[in-house]
Amino acid sequence: MDSVTTEMPGESEAVPQNGSTGLPESSSVSSANPYSLPEKPVVVIGASKPWVSLNLRDLWAYRELLYFLAWRDVKVRYKQTLLGAAWAIIQPLVTMIIFTYFFGVLARMPSEGVPYPIFFYAGLTLWTFFSNAVVSGGNSLIGNTNLITKVYFPRLIIPSASVSAGLIDFIIASLLLIGLLIYYDFAVTWAYLMLVPLILVTTLLALGMGIWFSALNVRYRDVRYALPFVIQIWLFVSPIIYPSSLVPQEWRWVMVLNPLTGIIEGYRSSLFGQDFQWGPLLYSTIFTLVMFVYASYSFRRMERHFAEFI
Amino acid sequence: MKPIIKVENLSKRFRFNPSEHASVRYDTLRESLVKAVRSPFGGLRRMLRDNDADLWAIREISFDVVPGEVLGIIGPNGAGKSTLLKVLSRIIEPTSGRAELYGRVASLLEVGTGFHPDLSGRENVYLNGAVLGMRRREIDAKFDEIVAFAEVEKFIDTAVKRYSSGMYLRLAFAVAAHLNPEILIVDEVLAVGDASFQRKCLGKMDDVTRSGRTVLFVTHGLGMITQLCQRAVLLRDGRVSMIGPAAEVVDHYNAIWNS
Repeated sequence: MDSVTTEMPGESEAVPQNGSTGLPESSSVSSANPYSLPEKPVVVIGASKPWVSLNLRDLWAYRELLYFLAWRDVKVRYKQTLLGAAWAIIQPLVTMIIFTYFFGVLARMPSEGVPYPIFFYAGLTLWTFFSNAVVSGGNSLIGNTNLITKVYFPRLIIPSASVSAGLIDFIIASLLLIGLLIYYDFAVTWAYLMLVPLILVTTLLALGMGIWFSALNVRYRDVRYALPFVIQIWLFVSPIIYPSSLVPQEWRWVMVLNPLTGIIEGYRSSLFGQDFQWGPLLYSTIFTLVMFVYASYSFRRMERHFAEFI
Repeated sequence: MKPIIKVENLSKRFRFNPSEHASVRYDTLRESLVKAVRSPFGGLRRMLRDNDADLWAIREISFDVVPGEVLGIIGPNGAGKSTLLKVLSRIIEPTSGRAELYGRVASLLEVGTGFHPDLSGRENVYLNGAVLGMRRREIDAKFDEIVAFAEVEKFIDTAVKRYSSGMYLRLAFAVAAHLNPEILIVDEVLAVGDASFQRKCLGKMDDVTRSGRTVLFVTHGLGMITQLCQRAVLLRDGRVSMIGPAAEVVDHYNAIWNS
């Protein structure tokens, strides 16, 4: 009766073993039960302790759901539109044209020795990805109330899927950036390799912010109204429309406190083959990691009440 | 016989806000700040004291379920049936007590959770399957069966918002019916579609219960309980009022109801 299985908690996808566990006492069940019980419970339910773990094992077990939710967000985004994913290029393209006219042509904004359109567009693509990811990540939990109140899965998957879905738009918008790089005759250099860690740090920062805002949003709907406002301010204090060299030297450090400053300037440096500012980059990376870890843990702490408060 | 589900003293308290006589769905930040300023230790005091306005949705619930058993859960509205299922499904956390589940769990608290109106039937089968904990390979393998069961072959690539409500529910139920966990937790989702599809659902449910799956099953249909379950639990005011053979519990419930 007590046939031992090797099954461990969390690895429950194993095929049920054949050893019969016999019939239950109230034996109106017609067939023998094909499932032999594991020694340890697969799921233990109880009031959680004050400290929490990230529960990475569960996250890994539900990785396919992350994929499907991100896929859903991508699929749904341009459903019933005529132009579809072209919107991911049209929006930044038109923004670039207008900003180039006002800031590049009329206001003669300096642009670190590269043509203003490409200077602005490079920053804009990364910024658009970041800001969309933070906003959609921040609203993702309250937008998936039906899932949260009806099924169990690690809730971290929801904001993560939202943020990942934004990567597709970023890739599409970057096609135009490649076009601009060719048009303006920029050389391909080894510095391009830095793009990978830079995009990774941007994603992690967006994920950290998205996770944190989404959890807060469940409890305080103020987040929903504050977010667009925060994002708008953030755009103006980041070197996207202007280079940070525009800011007087003695105030430059304030600029650099914004973690996006180091990332965006690093992004431009690697695209345009300019020198990297390693200090701000290191700061941004450390800020991002700390923020991400803090956000994940505080999310996990708030997670247990999501279904009640949402 | 070793139980597959062990529930010990499971309790869940919902906090209500006595001043507003309404449940606190969410505060604004300002309200919380005002509260914090007015009574800095209010939160702590509220935590320690048992508020009159608090509601114990379930209280000290204990029972065991052996593998292969189909356990019905009945009771009047507000008895705590749904809360119990939500706690066992890990959607809400219990205030105290403990439950151990010795198998993979799938819970069906409604059909079609996660269905997106803009996606096609095919896309929704995959999405809903993943939400319910199915692997992509599993869904691939069962896809044709699911679609055939739902009788929507012709419209499988149409957005589900164009479906009739019957088609929608049939597809949603079909995905759920093809889940393959050791433990299935079901909340009153069987009565979907027209009479003939309902019979099909019940038939499927009968197959599921005969396959040795352990099922926890909430319903108001007492006939279904006696038909599908060996044992039943009667909940009243959050507590177990009676537990025993399904027919006896149903008789007892009817007796209370009629008096």
